[in-house]
Amino acid sequence: MSGIRDDASGAQAGEAQVHDAASLRVTGCHHCGTVWEDAPPDARCGVCHAPLHRRKTDSLNRTWALLIAACIMYIPANLMPVMITRTLFDEQRDTIMSGVVYFWTSGEWGLALVVFVASFLVPLFKLAALLILVVSARRHSRWQRLQRAKLYRVVEFIGRWSMLDVFVVSVLSGLVKIHGLADVQAGIGIAAFGSVVVLTMLASLSFDPRLIWDEAAPAPAPADPAAALPPSAMAQLSKKNEGMQ
Amino acid sequence: MHQRPDLIVCEECDAVYQRPLLGHCEVARCPRCQAELDRHTGGRLDRLLPLTVGAMILFVIANCFPIVSIELQGLSADTTLLGAVVALAGDGMSEVSLLVFATTLLFPAIQMLALFYLLLPTSRVTRPPGFVPLLRLMQAARPWGMIEVFMLGVLVALIKLSNMAEVIPGPALWSFGGLTVLLTVVVSFNPRYIWHLCDAATVAGHEERTS
Amino acid sequence: MTDPHDEKPALLQPARERRRNWLPSLVWLIPIIAAIVGLSLVAKIVAERGPVVTVSFRSAEGLEAGKTKVKYKDVDIGQVHSIKLAEDRSHVLVNIQLTHEASGFDAEDTRYWVVRPRIAASGISGLGTLLSGAYIGADAGSSQETKKEFVGLEQPPIVTRDASGRQFVLHTDDLGSLDIGTPVFYRRIKVGQVMAYDLDADGRGVTVRIFVDAPYDKFITQDSRFWHASGFDMELNASGFKLHTQALSTVVLGGIAFRDRDEAIDSPPAKEGTQFQLAEDEATAMKEPDGAPQTVVLNFNQSLRGLQPGASVDFRGVVLGEVKNVGVEYDRAKGEFRMPVTVQIYPDRLGRSFRQGVAGESRHTAAQRLRMLVKRGLRAQLRNGNLLTGQLYVAIDFFPKTKPVRIDADKVPLELPTIPGSFDEIQSQIADIAAKLSKVPFDEIGRDLQTTVKTLNKTLSTAEQTAARINNDIAPEMMQAMQDARKTLNAAERTLSDDAPMQQDIRQTMQELSRAAASIRVLTDYLQQHPESIIRGKQEP
Repeated sequence: MSGIRDDASGAQAGEAQVHDAASLRVTGCHHCGTVWEDAPPDARCGVCHAPLHRRKTDSLNRTWALLIAACIMYIPANLMPVMITRTLFDEQRDTIMSGVVYFWTSGEWGLALVVFVASFLVPLFKLAALLILVVSARRHSRWQRLQRAKLYRVVEFIGRWSMLDVFVVSVLSGLVKIHGLADVQAGIGIAAFGSVVVLTMLASLSFDPRLIWDEAAPAPAPADPAAALPPSAMAQLSKKNEGMQ
Repeated sequence: MHQRPDLIVCEECDAVYQRPLLGHCEVARCPRCQAELDRHTGGRLDRLLPLTVGAMILFVIANCFPIVSIELQGLSADTTLLGAVVALAGDGMSEVSLLVFATTLLFPAIQMLALFYLLLPTSRVTRPPGFVPLLRLMQAARPWGMIEVFMLGVLVALIKLSNMAEVIPGPALWSFGGLTVLLTVVVSFNPRYIWHLCDAATVAGHEERTS
Repeated sequence: MTDPHDEKPALLQPARERRRNWLPSLVWLIPIIAAIVGLSLVAKIVAERGPVVTVSFRSAEGLEAGKTKVKYKDVDIGQVHSIKLAEDRSHVLVNIQLTHEASGFDAEDTRYWVVRPRIAASGISGLGTLLSGAYIGADAGSSQETKKEFVGLEQPPIVTRDASGRQFVLHTDDLGSLDIGTPVFYRRIKVGQVMAYDLDADGRGVTVRIFVDAPYDKFITQDSRFWHASGFDMELNASGFKLHTQALSTVVLGGIAFRDRDEAIDSPPAKEGTQFQLAEDEATAMKEPDGAPQTVVLNFNQSLRGLQPGASVDFRGVVLGEVKNVGVEYDRAKGEFRMPVTVQIYPDRLGRSFRQGVAGESRHTAAQRLRMLVKRGLRAQLRNGNLLTGQLYVAIDFFPKTKPVRIDADKVPLELPTIPGSFDEIQSQIADIAAKLSKVPFDEIGRDLQTTVKTLNKTLSTAEQTAARINNDIAPEMMQAMQDARKTLNAAERTLSDDAPMQQDIRQTMQELSRAAASIRVLTDYLQQHPESIIRGKQEP
């Protein structure tokens, strides 16, 4: 095995022993984890045939766009009724919040909490977290990198749980279809809500967490390793740097 | 471009490390960003196939029988998962219906079927046909399978209904519960290992040489 | 050469040991268990399945594939699996999956029908299905043969096979307000219902089949009488106005009621299928059998207004028969109009002993008896039954004071002599009085009376005048005269009283006179003495 281990790349204070893949001219395949050295741009992983990217394509812009769309859809998701219950006597339109209130007032605090957290707090949290991540990544901020990385993991993990309300409504509407006596129908709000979940999931999928750790483009970083690497490698490196973001 | 099997790159912060040799149940973590680099799968692969088969059977049961039935004033109604999807589509909410169908039926099914096919011990030497696209598909489908969220949603719906009518859980409910458990175990394995499934001989040989 | 960190895990480092070989096979338990569970579920469902039958109905209204249930005695015994249109589109084929416990429901004589909200003669049924949706009702059959295809009934059967009771047959003239499901009442309790009805073959009547539930079927005896209890039983006839009803439902739906005619006698219960007559009303039903009617013609000579067919013919209050026909005939021989009234009399109503007495009598004796009766005064007469409505009825009675009439006992139809109605008599009497009254010369009397009164008047007025005059003229004058007299008397009294001034004056005058007289005397005396004094005067001595 041979690999170029370069002392000089560890010149950044506080991260002495960590080497960036870029500095070492290696790329890890996102799918299969195989590490490739000296991969040309637009190469494909030999193991899994996935395209090798240094960073996810246009990550920030995509994430930004999806995030804004999710924010826009969040408003009708909460304002419009998600479930329309028709009984023999009346018709009830439930939004997400009114469902929480219903549980709360009928004494089921645990359920009220669950629905509130899953359907209201979690999407809000995701939107806020993604906002933080995107903004901070755009500015190449070094603030709380580790925390931000953890934040990203949390966002990815809990993303799917906001789908709870969608499933509740779909089960209820599939089950309660007793003509004349009780009838549950999904409202527009749930479509908006589903789209919020999908959009935030896509946003977090398209956000490249490596951007958290990236330094700003015009940085002293490329200079140092360039000194140690042979010229050809440096040329490749600078090209790659430009290719970033 | 050539492979560097001795290295491992952190997915989340792009740091490069030497690929560790993991023992049983050991997990490698990136020191910089605390992300999980690698976990030992090893013998788990043997367990994976029966679990997948079990999950598939439970999945079939869960979709063939009604999840829950309610009784109100002598009227009863029940639904399967497909029934709920169809009802949503019938109400005009076809996008939501598609979403629910995808996240609870399509993607988990893709996952399970792909895994089953790939894990079939036909041979560990050469890759079965369609290996690459199937595995890619499976990995792509992974974040979108939401059976456990669905399980919780069904429970919440049941509690909501129990105020209104008499609720009788159907066989599918227990199936879904078991399916949730199994799927959680199944998806917790390291998918990367499968990529190297057929290179096991080479990897093992490689590791032997390096250690 | 610096090595990057080989990061060892944060997790425990379990001791590495060789796992035993059976662990993998333990894991295989999980799918095995899952498979067993799945198979057992499937097996349970298959085992719970009973036979599959196809029932054809005219329409699938209210039925839903996969939802509609089949119920027997309100227990689910199956479910509709699918609904198809028949090839010739005349009916629908409903595929039903029965449960295992309902495996006897494919017997050949099983009946299926749809339970929907229904308003029928027997009442409103199936209202619960408005909320719960229609369901298919089933009636188990007892046949040993099975079949797969049935023809569904369009209406629920009146009597399910498991209902116990008995059927009976009723004959009546017309159906009235009866219908399938019309209730049968006993003492105003519903004990059964009409199952079916049919026009008789000869078209002269209707045969109605009823079903009476157990345990009430034992109350139908040989002696039972049935009648229409439909609606209001209203009678407005010579005997008055009567209103009967059974239960309120019969007002709307009609009904049949029955009772034993003679409840004192314990009759044996009637056998299934016994035939009865259905009468119009209770009175008709409870009558003694009338026996053969006898037609009699009565010729009346008066107005028949108020006599209607159906009016009763009664003998001293006992209804013997009824008027059948009222007509008018022109008798050419006599040149006058006759009013023949055809009545039907039931001689049997004259009592059991009469019946027994005349049984076996020959015509001759019957004719003789009749003649004797007529000789005694047996006549028919029209009487006013109801002053309010003016209805008449025929009364047969003995009228001893009537003229004898010959009757031809052999004539057919028999003709009975008649006499004018009692109301006619009253009429003629009134007419007499009226005639008499009209003979009285009310005018003359009136005039005389007038004259007398006038004279009296005059006298009275004269007397009045006289009295007035006396009062006015004479009386006051007399009064005046009286007053004057009184005054005079008073004055006289005053004058004549002692202290009356006049009296005193008179006294005084008298005194004066006396004095004067005295003086004169003196004078005279002097003179006498002294005649010269006249010339010389008095000389003083």
